[in-house]
Amino acid sequence: MKLDRSLIALAALAVALMLPLVIEDSYSRHILIIVFIYAIVAASWDLSLGYAGVFNFAHMAFFGVGVYATAMTAKLLGVDPWFAMLLGGVAAAAAAALVALPVVRLQGIYVVLVTFAFSQLILQVVISQSDLTGGTQGLVRVPTLELPGYNFLRDYKLGYYYVALGLLVITTICLRALVRSDFGMSIQALRDNEDYGVARGIPIAWQRLKVLVFSAFFAGVAGGFYAVYLRVASPEVFSFATSSLVLSMVLVGGVSTIYGPILAAVVLTIASEALANIDGLAEGRFMLVAVAMIVGLRYLPGGLISAFTRTGRGRVSPAQVMPPKTE
Amino acid sequence: MMTAEALGTILVSGLVLGSIYALMASGLSLVWSTLGIFNFAHGTLMTLGAYVAWSLTDNAAGLGLSPIAGLLLTIPIMVLVGAAMEWLVVRPFYGHRAMMLITVMTTLAATVFIGKGIQLIWGARLKQLEPLVAGKITILGTTISAQELLIILLAPVLLAALWAFLRWSATGRGIRAVGQNPYAAKLIGINVPRLFIITFALSATLAGLTGVLISSVRLITPMLGDEPLIKALIIVIFGGLGSLAGTIWAAYLIGIAEAFLIYTIGIYWAPSLIFILLILVLLLRPQGLFGKVVR
Repeated sequence: MKLDRSLIALAALAVALMLPLVIEDSYSRHILIIVFIYAIVAASWDLSLGYAGVFNFAHMAFFGVGVYATAMTAKLLGVDPWFAMLLGGVAAAAAAALVALPVVRLQGIYVVLVTFAFSQLILQVVISQSDLTGGTQGLVRVPTLELPGYNFLRDYKLGYYYVALGLLVITTICLRALVRSDFGMSIQALRDNEDYGVARGIPIAWQRLKVLVFSAFFAGVAGGFYAVYLRVASPEVFSFATSSLVLSMVLVGGVSTIYGPILAAVVLTIASEALANIDGLAEGRFMLVAVAMIVGLRYLPGGLISAFTRTGRGRVSPAQVMPPKTE
Repeated sequence: MMTAEALGTILVSGLVLGSIYALMASGLSLVWSTLGIFNFAHGTLMTLGAYVAWSLTDNAAGLGLSPIAGLLLTIPIMVLVGAAMEWLVVRPFYGHRAMMLITVMTTLAATVFIGKGIQLIWGARLKQLEPLVAGKITILGTTISAQELLIILLAPVLLAALWAFLRWSATGRGIRAVGQNPYAAKLIGINVPRLFIITFALSATLAGLTGVLISSVRLITPMLGDEPLIKALIIVIFGGLGSLAGTIWAAYLIGIAEAFLIYTIGIYWAPSLIFILLILVLLLRPQGLFGKVVR
């Protein structure tokens, strides 16, 4: 089973490496680059939401912090874009540490509320500090990646394609290694039975802080790449619509799998882009995503739902004591 | 040193904000304490209420009804929307172990659905409602519009009506019983699903009315409800989810605190400071200022 999965992953990687040989137009490659970015964000979200069971709804805000940190350091301070991408990851990790302060001590819905409030707060700060961030207009003309002797703007985005793919591969390897390490075991233990995990000496607050920081770091780097690739940082990245699109990737792909959200990112991004090209569906496609999410949660409970039903035994929250479904 | 006039300004604008927040947050709190879910679409329902009222009252593009008729006719529409929402995105997940988390996602999906729908139907152009009462009034040295005074006066009346409904009416007592223990409520013959749908409809109506009241003071945009939702969210954390009294106290407290911060440090940094305040409160009292420990 494990061998199968690694083989499939390797085969998928081989296909991804060869794909630019077949797909030569820059629009299709652009879609694939966006796929890779969303895949990184969805897979890293899976670390905190799926494996650790922390109801982190600020993940797109961490992505956005990465976008803006990279765009601002590269454009306003003249930092090298490669290094600025890394700074994006660090900034997102720092933001996650700040959110983690109250979050690690909270339970259930309060975690959702605080992370959600945080992401809206970041949006408000971005919009209000328009001298630095460009406000609602966004920050344009962000410097892009450079290598000595190679121009990234040539070759129909070939360079960007391989950078994005490389980032996704590194992220996947790191995330898989993380969830299989002792650390990964301990966060899953806390998710499945918090009281027992704590009784066995797992430092719950510390582990949750680390998991938020790690998962935000990858999202931040992805955000950094997003900024230097599209050369723009706009407050759109914080919207409900983007958030629920990526969330649906985690759900549809199945949580606590890492590979699942990546696969779902491929399918959903391509589907969403295809819908965007149909007349009149540019905005309407988000409505379709919303409907798909509700229907998916109702009729395909294999994803997220099964992962969380395994958890409930240790503690029963008032929200869980609901009357059985009545017809 | 702060002058008496400045204090008056802060108090009056704080009361306007507090009234709006109290109306918003009480609906959220009611749904939480009864159904055990958090409705992220609450802000979008507020926006929807404003647009519905606009379509009913606008002379050029709408039906051209009077502002009062528009307000009253918005109520049944919001009741229907609230009931439909409960039916479609909440009811299928009753009794599920992870219901709280799942409904966070389904109500978020509903937010996107309604929000994008609003953009498609009404477009992005700014709109404004005709106020229920015209004119300006000066209180405590501060001039506000009559509509804002109406909001200040109407909010406590609506909240008191809500409280009386929950306290004395059979339905209201049923809603509280379900909130305390849905199994026991069912055992003594209370129709739990019916009360769930009533609660949701009531909450959606409160949100819609808030939207109607606010949108003759502010401009209607598809994002009208986003910022009040975040404030309502901070308020229910402060007040402790599920405590209606705590929520209302917290709403006025945050409203006045926000007015004070806007006056002293400006509109840009006020939200950040309120959030930092929230984090501090949560570090000291994870159950909220007025909340009890719930496990």
